Amino acid sequence: MNVAVEPKQDTVVDQPANVSSDQTVEFLNVSKFYGDVLGVNRVSLTIPPGITSLVGPNGSGKTTLMNLVTGLIRPSCGNVRVLGLTPDDPERFFREIGYCAQFDSFPKGVTGRQFVEYALKLHGYPPADVRQGAHDALRRVNLLEAADRKVAGYSKGMRQRIRLAQSIAHRPSVIVLDEPLNGLDPMARAETMALFQQFGEEGLHVIISSHILHEVDQISDRVILLSYGYVVAEGKIRGVREEVKEHPMQILVRCDRPALLAARAFQLETVVEAKLVEADGHRGHGVLIRTRDADAFYLSLNRIVLEDNIRLESVAPADDDVLAVYQYLIGSEGGGE
Amino acid sequence: MAPVIELDNLVVRLGSRTILKGLNGSLSGRAIGLLGPNGAGKSTLINTLLGFYTPLSGTARIFGKDIRTDARTLRRLIGYMPENDSFIADMTAVRFVRMMAELSGLPSEEALERAHEAFYYVGLGEARYRNLGTYSLGMKQMAKLAQAIAHGPKLIFLDEPTNGLDPAARVRMIKLIREIRDTRDIHLVISSHLLRDVEECCEEVLILKDGDIAAYCDLEKERRSNLNFIELETYGREGDFAEAIEGLGCDFADLGQGHFKMVLNNDLSVADLYRLAAERNVQIRRLNHRHDSLEDIFLKAMEVPAANGSVQA
Amino acid sequence: MAVYKRNYKPYEGRLTADWSRFLVPARYALETLFESRLLIGFMVASLIFPLFAAAIIYLHHNLGALEAMRISPSNLLPIDGDFFAAFLSVQGAYAFLLTAYAGPGLISPDLSNNALPLYLCRPISRTEYVLSKMAVLFIPLSCITWVPGLLLFSFQAGVQGGGWGWDHAHWAWAIFAGSWIWIGMLSLMAVALSAWVKWKLAASALLFGVFFISSAAGAMVNEVLSTRAGNILSLGYVIGMIWANMLQLPAKSTIFGELFNVRRGDEVPQYMAWTMIALVFGSCILLLNRRLRAKEVVS
Repeated sequence: MNVAVEPKQDTVVDQPANVSSDQTVEFLNVSKFYGDVLGVNRVSLTIPPGITSLVGPNGSGKTTLMNLVTGLIRPSCGNVRVLGLTPDDPERFFREIGYCAQFDSFPKGVTGRQFVEYALKLHGYPPADVRQGAHDALRRVNLLEAADRKVAGYSKGMRQRIRLAQSIAHRPSVIVLDEPLNGLDPMARAETMALFQQFGEEGLHVIISSHILHEVDQISDRVILLSYGYVVAEGKIRGVREEVKEHPMQILVRCDRPALLAARAFQLETVVEAKLVEADGHRGHGVLIRTRDADAFYLSLNRIVLEDNIRLESVAPADDDVLAVYQYLIGSEGGGE
Repeated sequence: MAPVIELDNLVVRLGSRTILKGLNGSLSGRAIGLLGPNGAGKSTLINTLLGFYTPLSGTARIFGKDIRTDARTLRRLIGYMPENDSFIADMTAVRFVRMMAELSGLPSEEALERAHEAFYYVGLGEARYRNLGTYSLGMKQMAKLAQAIAHGPKLIFLDEPTNGLDPAARVRMIKLIREIRDTRDIHLVISSHLLRDVEECCEEVLILKDGDIAAYCDLEKERRSNLNFIELETYGREGDFAEAIEGLGCDFADLGQGHFKMVLNNDLSVADLYRLAAERNVQIRRLNHRHDSLEDIFLKAMEVPAANGSVQA
Repeated sequence: MAVYKRNYKPYEGRLTADWSRFLVPARYALETLFESRLLIGFMVASLIFPLFAAAIIYLHHNLGALEAMRISPSNLLPIDGDFFAAFLSVQGAYAFLLTAYAGPGLISPDLSNNALPLYLCRPISRTEYVLSKMAVLFIPLSCITWVPGLLLFSFQAGVQGGGWGWDHAHWAWAIFAGSWIWIGMLSLMAVALSAWVKWKLAASALLFGVFFISSAAGAMVNEVLSTRAGNILSLGYVIGMIWANMLQLPAKSTIFGELFNVRRGDEVPQYMAWTMIALVFGSCILLLNRRLRAKEVVS
């Protein structure tokens, strides 16, 4: 199912009004084409400090956007400004940006520490600071013990973390990360997400692309959904769902008498649909309610439960998350290929 | 159920390091999850069971056959979906899967039939006639799954099956895995870092740590255990509500922003909570009975030092 | 109306015999190989010299044609050891070129994208896999070397009559066995080199390199140490020696020069030639054993 939502072309939604332009990453009507192939088309965005996630199928323009922010490519039309800077001023521009790409290649024979120190040297740090900076970065990603082993012998998760270390070593203000949790075990995921949250609190811009939507839900402040080179939605996580007005809120209630609950729900004006849901493994049967007014429904639910003595197993909003928005706006075919 | 995989003091050494330090146990679920931090030995275990590494001592049995002596027979019964890229760039997908099926023992025509069936099943349509080198990541994952199932194995190893897939493709892959699991006579071993994927597909979970078994747990049993442990998310006049809960006299934790965790006393029920909510005009937006989720089990397993490498069912 | 749902079903049909497993990669590789028009053209071209040789044999037994062409019989190339040596040399060179073209494509594509684990998790061993790939080369290489060679021999024996064939049976054996040694060495080297470097072009280049650089090294050794023993390093020389021995050639050189300097009686004894061949075989096998693994172990 593909819902046509008009791409927000020239208007900027949900612009954080209190942040000046040299504290944001801005896209001003940016398009990028590779010959005939579309990267992104007429994108306008303002990204404030904090954690922003880029979500979308492969080929939808995420990598293009990230390459534009990090200055690796120039837009075909429009302007990209990072903290007020552009790649025309490379000394200052590249110092502010750190990029942790998806590619898993390393120079042959380097150790972890050498890899990070190399990056710092490229940024022009004097030798004493190089050692210290590398040490700090390695400590933050928890790779100090393994730092002097060759990267070729690292596990996938360790290679991911050493690339992360390299991208933060020079203390940039904007960190762009392409699927940074790929290959990390659950504990490392939790640690890295906590690290990102720390960065967000320190006022850095953390731009992450990810396919794991429940993690996006957990840590992001804002989300940008892309499809076929267009931005189909962006803004604060909670707010984005409410914007999708064509779809009434869905609430899944598992209880002992779903049919009765459904009947009572229909008596409410704002309920548009009640669907009986089968038991799923360990979870019991229930009813999926769609309502135009979630607040009213919840308050009424209190009443219904008590009046009819319904035993509840669980209540949960069924689509108040990025996955639901993704499925509404992008669906299962909305890719870039 | 007859055990699928039996581990018998399995010790595996690679180079100068002992990776698996004497694993013991018996796994018998339809879908077995394999979890553990990086370096715990998950890949090594899978590679050893596939016959790529020779154990230093001890052995393992799959369907009762020893992996050291019956490797060839076993390999006909096993399918493998590797984590990394694994394909031949200049071959079309159909030809590739057909050749792999023939290598597993199928006659030529049957191999072609099964290859097409596998592609239909995983959802690769016209694309199957294109060279694998032109495939996107998601399509490569599907092609890998197709070659793992085309010869109809009895045990399939899936190593990070949702790696790199976009959200819609992930949902599809999980659905496929569950359908395969629900087929008679097929067993799956799924190794993944994404606990949610494992939770959705597997009934049993083996957790490795530092080359030993840190935990072995039957998720079905966990889910059926009945705790009066409740999680709530409320909206509206939380201060009032918090007071009210205190008034009930049961153990609770106020997590802020209207989130509460509590253990209901035996004489209380959910209805009482709703009574309080109705009285104070508070919305209960989310309510569920908590049981140990896989994440809790995993974290607990990581804290306990791995004892003797044996499976406690 | 009936609605059919297609679910995953396990396979319950018949299976092929276990020993025939190793034929599978060979079949597929042969199919791919013979799709190449360049290859087919090349094989046709490689039959030109045998045709030429057949013409000479014909002319030996057809005075009428000789007169018509105004060549006197004594000027015609004699059918002797040198004749077959030349044949082996030329066809050996073609075999080398064909292997350089077709060989690397056998294993490199499997390695460059890590397809080997998928092979080895199936009931096929590493040895079967390598033999299978080598077998792919055996067919075209045989068609270029001993098959036309033995045909020529039979032609000559048939036309000459009088037990010529029996008297010179050792030449038939030399053609057959000598070709196989050459085929074996080429195939093994091609397979080993393409297991070493994952890129087809690099493996082809390496194959050329091994030959020419070893020749050059041999020549350098000869110059510096003022000896002829350096020739042992040149693989073309080595095989030439073996052929010469098998053909029981007297000590003189062929008309086809330096690539396969088929001669006897130099300072390098026969057993060293055989040792060299054994060394090459051994190092190829070692290389294959190291490089063809399902999973690399990095310590």
